[in-house]
Amino acid sequence: MFKSEPKTILQFLATHFDLLRQLFDIQVKNEVILKSQVFDTLNEFGSDIENQLFEHKLLVEQNDDYIINEPYFVLFEFILQQFKPLLPEEIEKFGQSIRTLFLHIKEGIHQDKNILLDRIEALAKEIKKFTIAVTNNTMSLLNESRELKANTRKIEYQEKVQKARYLIEFYIKPLNNILDVSHEQSIYNELLLISKYANNKRFDYADEGIRRQFEKLYNLLRQVIKDISQQSIILSNELLPLIDRIRTESEYLQGFHLYLTNGNCYKGIKPPELFTTSRDNPYNPYIFENTKEYFDQFKNEEDVFIEEETDVVEQWIFNKSEYKSQLNSKLPVEDFFSWCKTALSKEKENFNFDNYFMITSLIFEEDYEIHLDKKNRNISLKTDRGELIMPKLKITKKENVSK
Amino acid sequence: MYPNKHKQIVTSLMEGRFITIDESYFDILKENQEFYIEFFNKSFGFELRSNQEFYYLISEETNENTSRDISIFFSILCYELDKDGKNFMDELGFSDFHIDEIIEYILNSTWSDIVKSNKQLYDPDSIRKLVGSTMVKRNIAIKQSDDKYSFTKAYKLFIDFARELIKSELNNANA
Repeated sequence: MFKSEPKTILQFLATHFDLLRQLFDIQVKNEVILKSQVFDTLNEFGSDIENQLFEHKLLVEQNDDYIINEPYFVLFEFILQQFKPLLPEEIEKFGQSIRTLFLHIKEGIHQDKNILLDRIEALAKEIKKFTIAVTNNTMSLLNESRELKANTRKIEYQEKVQKARYLIEFYIKPLNNILDVSHEQSIYNELLLISKYANNKRFDYADEGIRRQFEKLYNLLRQVIKDISQQSIILSNELLPLIDRIRTESEYLQGFHLYLTNGNCYKGIKPPELFTTSRDNPYNPYIFENTKEYFDQFKNEEDVFIEEETDVVEQWIFNKSEYKSQLNSKLPVEDFFSWCKTALSKEKENFNFDNYFMITSLIFEEDYEIHLDKKNRNISLKTDRGELIMPKLKITKKENVSK
Repeated sequence: MYPNKHKQIVTSLMEGRFITIDESYFDILKENQEFYIEFFNKSFGFELRSNQEFYYLISEETNENTSRDISIFFSILCYELDKDGKNFMDELGFSDFHIDEIIEYILNSTWSDIVKSNKQLYDPDSIRKLVGSTMVKRNIAIKQSDDKYSFTKAYKLFIDFARELIKSELNNANA
């Protein structure tokens, strides 16, 4: 029992609405209101209404803390149009009771009249509760998504994406299933079946009282189905695209984040290709920028290290006696320098000039006589490194050489 | 023999400009796309790239530093716009920005380490130059009246690039 008059309580709610709203917001956020939070709020408003809060049963104790009494809480939710989204499981429970009641109505359609009337009435009540739950839920999800989209709480995108994903997975998709007409098990389809049944029975039942009750149920369902499909439209036309948009934006934001973190934008990731302008005239209006861009290209370049070639160079050793005996066996040789080339390339295909000069040193051996070509002809040797022009020399064995 | 406005189109693209859908050159390029692809390839060895909203040239040598500065600029601007509760896609697509507003977003950004180490972004004058000269020159930004700027559709090259990074990273992770 209340000590106070109902009007006094309502007057109290109106007078101290701002303070009560603050308590309501605390509970929405934290589930409970700590004792200290109650005192802080009272102090903030310079108010001494602590006793009335308990007298009017606005606050009830929960362990050591407080919560706003359920009927008041629902009232605040309603007048502020600020509902905590219901979990699909919470909505589904209405679905369960609707299904069970409908089943019992069908099974007991020709049994006791009174229980049938009660069941129809109970079914109507559950359907109303279900509709209110769905409407409130769509609205609160829409508000949450809009708030998320506008980022009123200035949260970082990671948290935003997480929140959007959470809303989709646990609230929006399941709600969509509940309202989905193409989903056989959806509550929406169940309501359509009940409506069809009630429509039939409002004409086809012996008892007038029952007929009237079915008539009322049918009329309720007409409205409910209209409302629910309206919610379904909001869901698919507004809520899902909104969340989709958050998701697309989040892809971009994740990209920016990846690009900007860990020095990626400087080292790790190459930016899009961009045209380099090549020709510029001093009277070009953008000569400054173009010149700057040109020089900027060389900034932030990675350091270049020059390392000595570490490949092992194959050592070649001139085997003088071997080449000498080869030369001896060919004597007389008409063109000494060409012979050197042929002999060397047999052993080493890619010889260099150093190798070549070592072979040609055989010419200084005492064993040979050298004759210049009578026509004074030159021969040439071309390699990757260059070309050697040399006289054509004939080599013969020298007579009277002491062994 | 040559398409209408040929000289202007070629000069424009060769100056590194983006030709965007709201310009008359865009339609001429679109009508003669095959011709221009071949023309730039055969004449200069340049690649003409396009999408639904803009055309631009690519040379063998790429202007990596400018591109990086612009990519960082858009990444930070979008990031901050989003944090400010604004829809950055709509804002970049349809709004004018006062240069002071842009400067404020960049300099007050949470990415201050990057801003400070980037010579095109680290003070108001550099940002003014980046937007007012470099980006205007390439037709990425357009100067409106009273120190205000709008962005052409070319901004998408730089933000789509960031989005692709995530997609390719996801693909790599799934591979």
